[in-house]
Amino acid sequence: MNYMPGTASLIQDIDKKHLVLLRDGRTLIGYLRSIDQFANLVLHQTVERIHVGKKYGDIPRGIFVVRGENVVLLGEIDLEKESDTPLQQVSIEEILEEQRVEQQAKQESEKLKVQALKERGLCVPRADTLDEY
Amino acid sequence: MAEGGEPVIIEDYLLLEDAPLLEEMAEEDEELDLYNEMTFGIEQDCTEEDTSKPPMPPEMSPELAKAVAEETEAGEDLGPEAAEELEEPQEEGAMEMEQLGSELEEELGTEDQEEDQEPCEEPNDLGDPAVMRAVQSKPTLESQDSAVLDSRIGACWADFGKEDVLAMDPTVWGSWPGSIPPPHVLEDKAIVQVLERPPPSTSVALDFLGSPVQRGYRGSPRLKRPDIRLVPPKSFPQRFLRQQSPLVPRSPCSPRPFAPPRRPPLLFTSNQTTGYASPTRFQPMPPNISRPPRPLAMHFGPMSPSLDPALFFSPSASGQLNLSVPSHLTQLHPQHQRILTQRQQQSISSKKLWSPKVDPYAGLMTSKEKDWVIKVEMIQLQSENTDDDYYYQTYYHRLEHKQAEEELLGGRNKQEPPKLVTPFIQKVETYNSVVRIAGSLGQVAVSTCYSPRRAIDAVHHALVEEATGSHRLRALHKIEKLFLQLLEVEEMQRKMSLAAEEQEQKSQDAERIYQALKIRACSSEEEAEDEFLQLLCVQKGKKLTARLLPHLSPEQAEKILLTITHHLPFLMKKDVLDESLPLLYSPLNKVVGRMTFSKLIEVLQEMSRPLPESPELPVTMALKNQFGISLLYSLLSHGERLLSSDMPLEPRSGDFEMWTDTVFLVARELSQVPKASLVEPLFLPSNLLSLFCRYLDKQTVVHLEAKMECSPLPSEAAMLC
Repeated sequence: MNYMPGTASLIQDIDKKHLVLLRDGRTLIGYLRSIDQFANLVLHQTVERIHVGKKYGDIPRGIFVVRGENVVLLGEIDLEKESDTPLQQVSIEEILEEQRVEQQAKQESEKLKVQALKERGLCVPRADTLDEY
Repeated sequence: MAEGGEPVIIEDYLLLEDAPLLEEMAEEDEELDLYNEMTFGIEQDCTEEDTSKPPMPPEMSPELAKAVAEETEAGEDLGPEAAEELEEPQEEGAMEMEQLGSELEEELGTEDQEEDQEPCEEPNDLGDPAVMRAVQSKPTLESQDSAVLDSRIGACWADFGKEDVLAMDPTVWGSWPGSIPPPHVLEDKAIVQVLERPPPSTSVALDFLGSPVQRGYRGSPRLKRPDIRLVPPKSFPQRFLRQQSPLVPRSPCSPRPFAPPRRPPLLFTSNQTTGYASPTRFQPMPPNISRPPRPLAMHFGPMSPSLDPALFFSPSASGQLNLSVPSHLTQLHPQHQRILTQRQQQSISSKKLWSPKVDPYAGLMTSKEKDWVIKVEMIQLQSENTDDDYYYQTYYHRLEHKQAEEELLGGRNKQEPPKLVTPFIQKVETYNSVVRIAGSLGQVAVSTCYSPRRAIDAVHHALVEEATGSHRLRALHKIEKLFLQLLEVEEMQRKMSLAAEEQEQKSQDAERIYQALKIRACSSEEEAEDEFLQLLCVQKGKKLTARLLPHLSPEQAEKILLTITHHLPFLMKKDVLDESLPLLYSPLNKVVGRMTFSKLIEVLQEMSRPLPESPELPVTMALKNQFGISLLYSLLSHGERLLSSDMPLEPRSGDFEMWTDTVFLVARELSQVPKASLVEPLFLPSNLLSLFCRYLDKQTVVHLEAKMECSPLPSEAAMLC
């Protein structure tokens, strides 16, 4: 029931399990316990989920207080459907290792790209530098 | 200690850490005994109490037992101990409270001390054990103060998962001996007072989660019609939901089972006829929930003088329990009781299949807090300025349009779209950051949600432009500042009914922005130094200019156009990444459309001016840029329009030559530029070919036509060539 037609509010989402994507790329899963007008979130029994390929690993984090502006999106997790996922859960160590490998590969390919462009006289500014202002 | 085999009133529910069946049974047996005794007046042997308990004043009656320290003791000790505890002096009672430790919150202890403890008046040596007495005696801990109950609830809360407690219930609820207060009790003024207290007016509803305390308090049994009805499990949530205020969202129900306290049966009159459970009367929640349910809060209201009719509490409590078994109203035989409750348990356990496991951490955010957040959100929606919440406004416009259409088509009754009723909150238009109270020293901090705290009058004086060294940063900052001003201008524009002075105001504001832009047309200065150009290098700067153009006077707009055209190569180069120059096309097009011929020539001159650094002409470069080519075409098209119209052109000397020169130049460049690098313009004016026809031979025109991918000329026009 939306007693505020035309609006969206997180009030209805309280005490439900949510997946929250942060601006730094982290994925948090936890029970949304409290909000405020800035959509700052209090997440309970939070788990940070790292995805690499078809695998994922959960790191239990406890209670999170997330500043609203850092949230990209969040959505409720259907507890029944939560388990049927094609992804495979692995241990924390394994997923961290996989992540490290993936980052390394990405960095190397990026480096090659920049090098190739430089050779051709092009200088593509990296997207993240725009954020520096 | 009351000797003489006083019937021990087994105290209210107990939170046993473990509730072995044995204990239950033992309790049940005790209850049975009690029941029998009460009913049939059988002398009961008083079981030996714990001698460790301090001696009690004889005048204390055992009836009002306190629910204290049960959780640590076995069930069988309950009765006697309860009696003992009851008879303890007040301080000891308090002390005992402290002993409970984690179970009870601190306030409880203090509260207890604060409570009125009626002095015991009646001697406890009446022979008849069945006689209920001691209304005046120290009231039960629980009866006095549902904080105890609350603590029980709290304990239950913490002890999530102890279904045993539920199992305890039947025994607890067992036949309460003598649910009818004996006549002599009613003579006691205090009791009568309490009993006659009007029933609670406040609601019970949402607080189920957390403040049974409050509910407990305000409820009081109805003397005449002890109509305490217990909701059968199924109907409970439904009713509750129905009566919920729209404001308060549904919090997850947490039917925490806990044993409701056993209340002294004194509170019920003899004319009570209902011995049957009926659902609790739920009172609808007030629309504005002022009281937040506080799960573990000790909420102490005015205490009843003597007996707190904590009995009233039980309905809600038992409602929470989903017990349809009546409490002390009934005089069920314990075995009957047991059967009933067993049945209930089964139903409850079957319910567990569908209801998710109760979340002990739920309800962290109280409904008061939720309401507050909702209120803040609603305030944000209240705004005159349509810019503030675009989605909300758009949603409503669309909804209204749709309904209007439906109305037209269907001819149905006008359906009002559900309007969002926002609470009327006086929005403080001006925020006085610092309030100076006359005659006081210093300032008072005024905080609103717009500005949390401003204790001192510190105003930021440093000029940001000087502070920051970077050109780009300065440019960005300037853009932001001007954009805000532009928004204000547009806002004024939007208010269609502009009075004369408002229009004046608007143009003044626009002028101010224009001045701030510091446009120096056709400056030969280094482009990096030109502030306006730096602004134009940023996409937002282009947007700013594009939106500003309609509000400027024609001269100002033309000056901007001139500047842009003059520095076109520079701008085009800078725009390679962004590709946001086309933003400017539309407003500039309009500007061009209003220009005089002379002005047009002036602009075109800029495009044909040879560049110092590059062999290419601006025209040529423009042909390779979408914005450039579009602008060029637009200029040419306008010129052609002016020439072919009958309007007097008032050209300056040399204008026409310039014009023809430009046309030839463009034609030449167009034919020379390879098709591949020719960019498609944003808009291709239709009169370009006729323009070329005027000056060029047919062959060239055809060639250009192919190049430009124009639609072929109509035959008459072609004839001119």
